[in-house]
Amino acid sequence: MKNISRPRTRRLTIIAQDPSVRVGGRVLTTEVDVPAEEISPGPRGYRVQVVDYDTSTGVLYQPLEYPPLQNGRYIDPFKEVADRPTNETLLNDPHFHQQNVYTIVMKTLARFEFALGRRLSWGFPGHQINVAPHAFADANAFYSKRDQALVFGYFRGLSGETVYSCLSHDVVAHETTHALLDGLRNRYTDPSSPEQAGFHEGFADVVALLSVFSLRDIVGLLLQSGPDAPKRQANDLISPQALTIETLKRSVLLGLADQMGAEMGVGIRGDRAEALRRSVDLPPLKETDDPETYRKLDEFQEPHRCGELLVAAMLNAFLGAWRARIDKLERGRPGAKLDLQLVVDEGAAAAEQMLTIAIRALDYAPPTDLQFSDYLSALLTADKELMPDDSKYDYRELIRKSFRAYGIEPANINSPDGTWEDCNADLTYDRSHFESMLRDPDEVFRFIWENRKALTLVDQAYTKVLSVRPCLRFGSDGFTLRETVAEYIQMVTLQAQELQLFEPPIGKPEAMPPTEEVTIYGGGTLIFDEYGKLKYHVFNRLNNSIRQTPRLRYLWKWGYFQDPDAAQNAFARLHLGRALNLKSNLTEAF
Amino acid sequence: MPKKTAVKKSAAKKSAAKPASKGKLRPASLTIRAYQVGFGDCFLLTFKYPKAKATDKERHVLVDFGSTGMPKGIESGEQMMKVAQDIQERSGGKLHIVVATHRHKDHISGFTTKTDGSGTGEVIAALKPDIVIQPWTEDPKAKEPATKKKSKKKTQSHKALAATPLFISSLNDMNTLAEAAYAEVMHLSSSKFRVPLDEDLADQVAFLSDDNGLPNKAAVANLAEMGTNHYVNYGYELDLSRLLPGVKAHFLGPPNLEQHAEIQQERSKDKNEFWMLQGAARGFWRLQATTGELIKDFTSGNDQLFPEADAYQDFFPAHSRWFIRQLRTLRGQQLQGLVRILDKAMNNTSVILLLEAGGKKLLFPGDAQIENWEYALKIEDNLQLLEDVHFYKVGHHGSRNATPRTLWNNFAQKLKEGEQGPRLQTVVSTMKGKHGHAESHTEVPRATLVKELVSLTDYETTEDAAENKKLYVEMEIIF
Repeated sequence: MKNISRPRTRRLTIIAQDPSVRVGGRVLTTEVDVPAEEISPGPRGYRVQVVDYDTSTGVLYQPLEYPPLQNGRYIDPFKEVADRPTNETLLNDPHFHQQNVYTIVMKTLARFEFALGRRLSWGFPGHQINVAPHAFADANAFYSKRDQALVFGYFRGLSGETVYSCLSHDVVAHETTHALLDGLRNRYTDPSSPEQAGFHEGFADVVALLSVFSLRDIVGLLLQSGPDAPKRQANDLISPQALTIETLKRSVLLGLADQMGAEMGVGIRGDRAEALRRSVDLPPLKETDDPETYRKLDEFQEPHRCGELLVAAMLNAFLGAWRARIDKLERGRPGAKLDLQLVVDEGAAAAEQMLTIAIRALDYAPPTDLQFSDYLSALLTADKELMPDDSKYDYRELIRKSFRAYGIEPANINSPDGTWEDCNADLTYDRSHFESMLRDPDEVFRFIWENRKALTLVDQAYTKVLSVRPCLRFGSDGFTLRETVAEYIQMVTLQAQELQLFEPPIGKPEAMPPTEEVTIYGGGTLIFDEYGKLKYHVFNRLNNSIRQTPRLRYLWKWGYFQDPDAAQNAFARLHLGRALNLKSNLTEAF
Repeated sequence: MPKKTAVKKSAAKKSAAKPASKGKLRPASLTIRAYQVGFGDCFLLTFKYPKAKATDKERHVLVDFGSTGMPKGIESGEQMMKVAQDIQERSGGKLHIVVATHRHKDHISGFTTKTDGSGTGEVIAALKPDIVIQPWTEDPKAKEPATKKKSKKKTQSHKALAATPLFISSLNDMNTLAEAAYAEVMHLSSSKFRVPLDEDLADQVAFLSDDNGLPNKAAVANLAEMGTNHYVNYGYELDLSRLLPGVKAHFLGPPNLEQHAEIQQERSKDKNEFWMLQGAARGFWRLQATTGELIKDFTSGNDQLFPEADAYQDFFPAHSRWFIRQLRTLRGQQLQGLVRILDKAMNNTSVILLLEAGGKKLLFPGDAQIENWEYALKIEDNLQLLEDVHFYKVGHHGSRNATPRTLWNNFAQKLKEGEQGPRLQTVVSTMKGKHGHAESHTEVPRATLVKELVSLTDYETTEDAAENKKLYVEMEIIF
């Protein structure tokens, strides 16, 4: 058999950001690399299945046939059209829309797998997520776990043109992130606190925005032509003094928001543009301000508004990281002008790096009742594991400072650097098997049950190991170390009057009847080192009254007990709620 | 706390109204006929004045007249005409006041006229009511921008003035969207699909979208012309002494935009947030309405999304069929969510009318839900005013969201059977199985509410009239 080397990736054209972003009248497109495969008509691949069905018309559009590998190369069917002086035909070609969603979903998935160093499952049984690029006539797009799908709507814009949400890079990346996060942490959609609900939205926004910022063409465009673009000198040189964090914020972040909220920026894009503006404009707290300033406000009890705090913190960290890189470029050449392209490259690199850490942090986050402070400790720990020596850019200090500015401190207040502490519990390993612990949930359960007292589990609760996955990191000697991350949850359903039996007692919401059934959750993430020894145990104890009491109060106030439908963090409802600022205070209802 | 603008100064006083001074006419009693209109509302109030001259011994108030569905075996057109004719007969050919609490079909369809003059609307119009009361959202003048000049003033009043026509436009957009939703759900339920949309889901969406469609123009015009119109909001002052001597009216809702803003501003650090949200909502409903037009074009075959693209005609690929069925259900649920939101918005434009006569209070809140009530209920004086309500027309056909717990808990005349004292009288005009679902705790009437109404009040329901094949249930209140 002739030995033909097959490429590991293939290039496919997508719209770089949105059809409204044009350069010289052409829609700005770009080619991105995705894992190579022989694509079946759909496109249909090993992780994604595009089904172009429109429920509003009952039409199923036929897909494109993709040519197979030829002479060691895959052909991009739309490259030629995209490169033409006028490429608007792409906007009305459903085959291109199908490719656009397939590619962005695959790219986002690949990004997660790159950061985590392993395959990532969807949050539902099945390997292929369904994607409907023209699912319905509505200005909405969302992830549906029940339907194992990402669905994108289309609508009539203000000028009468049809607008397709499947052509907006950040919308597709955002919804894909919901699906991926659900695969990694599928209890984050349980009814909990505004921060857990806000985390899904905020995290999806962060990934989408950093994904866009990692495209050099986009960063360059925003730096050069945004409304508050820093002044350039001749020969595309720029003074570093012009690149303050504030000017970067206004040109790049607000410039992006302006693009998202441009002529077609209504519906889901308009909402996201508005959310981005709000995150950017959210004033950072001063050192002397009460850290609870934002969280005390009722408006920040809304999940999407709460998520904007996370976005504000992460974006400010990204800008700080970019500025730190620009400082490095300047070093040794004070007063010298910088090449704009270098500045752009550093911005894209900073975005890439922040994105990797943001994703890796999920492995260090608890599986239930996530608070932003937990995620911060997870971020710092993930970064420390990846890069023990942080001295080049001081990212961890940057991240801490950015989060502190929005009232978020690390959950682990005992640690000087905010990272999780090593697990010092007195554990027994002799009744479980090392090799099985690397992959078998039953073996991991054997271990945690044997050590349930040391791990402070609640005996009476239902306990289950949700996943066991490999987790790679690099040792200081450059060796690749294979660690293991496992999640377990605990849950118990009891009557409200039994909450007082916990020690210390968990508070029952005042108006809640004593016989009301409540379910409370706990859980933990276990990181085992290369020797199978437990390195980190990141957990929320089920019987922690400090967390559970406000959680129950919050859920009772917003009617989750009276209306189970409201308890489902259905992303469609969330996006609708974001658009209309819907509130569901059902305490007044029968 | 919002400004303590109690509805009337007398609202601050508890207990019975002042006894009439000598020579002042006042009603001795009241009968309330709650007509059996299926899922809808229609109440005829007859105040009796034994000491008045012969032609004025009875004064009549009609509160709503509409339906979106009758019990099985009853033909809707025929029943509505019977109701209209009974109103005509009972009122002796003269109505004094008509109240149309809001624009939903199940509250105003009976006011529709026909081109040949044979509609129920003509029957009512011929009773020549002196005044017609509707919510401020129906005021034709409120739809127009107050002034073409842009005001530099930024007071709440000015902001409300600017925002009001936009808010009303949003209501119209909701009606347009509801019509599009109706067209789409009919399409999704079509027998051309091997597995059409779930019948129950389709029925719910069809019901709500039908109720929320563009209000019948003939009904709207009839209401505007049949008497002097008063478009009311919370605190509106209306002197009824000429039409209904000895009867006072308090309007506890709907709040206008400025009043809504007061509530929002209590919750938010940003005083402008309410107006920004209004702007965002306006944009949302405008978008939905224009997309609704797109849906109507598509479902009627007048347009296609990608006219040049190839589509499957007969058989879909096997691997896609499960997902396509899921997608249709998803879309049905999405439509359901949308129409529920706009249905609630429409309900919250309801007039909340409290009548006070002979020391007794009668509450007619239309379909007002919590968001409409919250302005009134935040004012302590109103809680006092409402405490001794003697008659309560249960809001929104007995749904869970239209009798706020604060209101219900505040009623002092709730009594168990056998307990001493004046007992609260209640009536619900409703029909099971049309609206909501027990599984999601949204059934109308809501079982938990009915249980409390039955055990703590003298409870009547038009469902009994339907069961006994009667035209109405009737209650009497002695002053």
